[in-house]
Amino acid sequence: MFQILNTFLIGITSGSIYALMAISMVLVWRSTRVVNFAQAGMALLSTYFGYEVVNRFDSYWLALPVAMISGAVVAAFIELVFMRVLLKHSNSGPIASIAPIIATLGLLGLIKAFIGFFWGNQDVNIESPLSTVGFSIGTQTLSLSPMKLLILIAVSMLLLVLTFVFQKTNIGLALRASAYAPEISRLAGIKVDLVRTFGWALAGAAGGAAGMLQTANGNGALSPDSLEFSLLLAFGFIAAVIGGLDSLLGAVFGALLLGLVLAFVLTYVGGSLVFITAFVLLLVVLIVRPAGLISQKAGRRA
Amino acid sequence: MHNLKASNISRFFGFILFGVILLIVGNSVDELRVYQGATVAMYVVAISSIILLTGYSGQVSLGHGALLAVGGYGAALLRNNFNAPVWLCFAGAVLLAALWGALLGATAARLSGPYLAGTTLALAVGLPSIANQFKFLGGEQGLIFDIGLPPASLGEMFSLYKWFFWIASLAALISMWWLQNLLRSRYGRVWRAIRTQSIAAELAGIHVARSKILAFTVSAGLAGLAGALLSMTISTVSPGAFPLTLSFALATGAVISGVTTLGGVIIGAVTLVAIPEIADSIAHRIGASENVTNNLPGLLVSGLLILTVLFVPNGPVEQMKHRKKVHI
Repeated sequence: MFQILNTFLIGITSGSIYALMAISMVLVWRSTRVVNFAQAGMALLSTYFGYEVVNRFDSYWLALPVAMISGAVVAAFIELVFMRVLLKHSNSGPIASIAPIIATLGLLGLIKAFIGFFWGNQDVNIESPLSTVGFSIGTQTLSLSPMKLLILIAVSMLLLVLTFVFQKTNIGLALRASAYAPEISRLAGIKVDLVRTFGWALAGAAGGAAGMLQTANGNGALSPDSLEFSLLLAFGFIAAVIGGLDSLLGAVFGALLLGLVLAFVLTYVGGSLVFITAFVLLLVVLIVRPAGLISQKAGRRA
Repeated sequence: MHNLKASNISRFFGFILFGVILLIVGNSVDELRVYQGATVAMYVVAISSIILLTGYSGQVSLGHGALLAVGGYGAALLRNNFNAPVWLCFAGAVLLAALWGALLGATAARLSGPYLAGTTLALAVGLPSIANQFKFLGGEQGLIFDIGLPPASLGEMFSLYKWFFWIASLAALISMWWLQNLLRSRYGRVWRAIRTQSIAAELAGIHVARSKILAFTVSAGLAGLAGALLSMTISTVSPGAFPLTLSFALATGAVISGVTTLGGVIIGAVTLVAIPEIADSIAHRIGASENVTNNLPGLLVSGLLILTVLFVPNGPVEQMKHRKKVHI
């Protein structure tokens, strides 16, 4: 019984980090119809900015917002100077459908190379700001440490803020409108290009938060070739697809589901099957419900 | 019809001539270059496998490294457990990878664009952890793949690297020749039709899903061959030999070569081998720090990839053809 509770807690924590990553993929997909495979690289870069702040000012609390803001700035910059040109350049011809995918791949390589230039390829460390030792109940230790609690609180707060922005503000309305029908939004006076850049910025911020939290949740090590970030990318993508690439709610749902399933597999079946499980889950969802578990009404346009 | 036959024959002799040139060149350069030549030949096979998949049937794979790994492990298992002759190892690698490709292709045919890209990417990310789990695959260290010494009849001076070069070049030449013919056949035309307009192709009576699976199978077979060649040149098969960066490098090579034509495949292959060396000499000249030296190749490859996508999205060869047409 206790083990089930612990597994549940581990799953929810890692799932909530995947949720941030999945959200950032969904935001980019909704605004520019590109699956951004450079997302992990962008998250990594903002985490390195965060690391720099931790290093200089010795404060994780300052580093977290800095990582998010720098993530937003980097993403907006990439959208402005790069993706816009690219999508205009390659909207026809035989490779039109794969050009954005390939380009984000190139971007990933560029970002990694830049990180290597400035910080080197060795591991650097971000100390976890809170204790990672679980609370104890009687003699048993709960898999809920102050750090994990922080992650859960931070992610839920970010989700609340995002929901508020999307549902209650004009910019959120503009975001939803230009994702749904860009032409009509343009006619209605929405600056669709600007809104898209904003979508990318939000995605960058979410990615930055995911990177900082994931690093603190793990062993704190950070390197340009880190497997953690490749996994974050893969699991973020899988979660986004499970939930439906078009739905923010779906991304969160998919990520929590993925986190829980993986945690239970890890505890009860064994570590060797974790990745295979994620992969099989992805394939099953793609084959049975290609639009995702939580998809909007049929009839939406791709 | 007559013309087609003539060009077929001339192409065949063209390949033989190319092989002879390779033979002469292989004899006159030093060991390092010969080894690099073998690597180029391996990349030619691997990149053409991606070009076939992406350029001709319109499917994207970011996880070709996984298929290369299947080929490499297949060849090594055959060699180590059954002591199979080298050519049989390669044939086995091709068959095994093609089998996997057929299974993957059956799933992939239902996916498109970013979904397929992401799924194959996930496969490439997860592959090392999967290969680590099975005892008979040797875990982290992997397996040894030793093709043995070159036959004594080639003389005592004949080095192992040259033997690698011969095998890899022969494999690349044969597969290129075969692929050229395949792409000019009915299947090639069907794949191109699907890529350009899959709905129109379906209306014309083409079984789209089946053709896509076939393309994936053939592509996987080639990838398996490339994997066996790669394992041969490094003498081992391990999860670490097929990292995510390999998959990305292959995709990059395919885009640099121009994904829509087979003609440029050598450009991508040579670029992939040459860039580390170029980067090294640049870093040496400007006296760069260790960080810069380590990451310059990555920067150059990614930069080249982005520039290609922006300016010559269909690859240099196609671009040149296009320009000629415009001038005339």
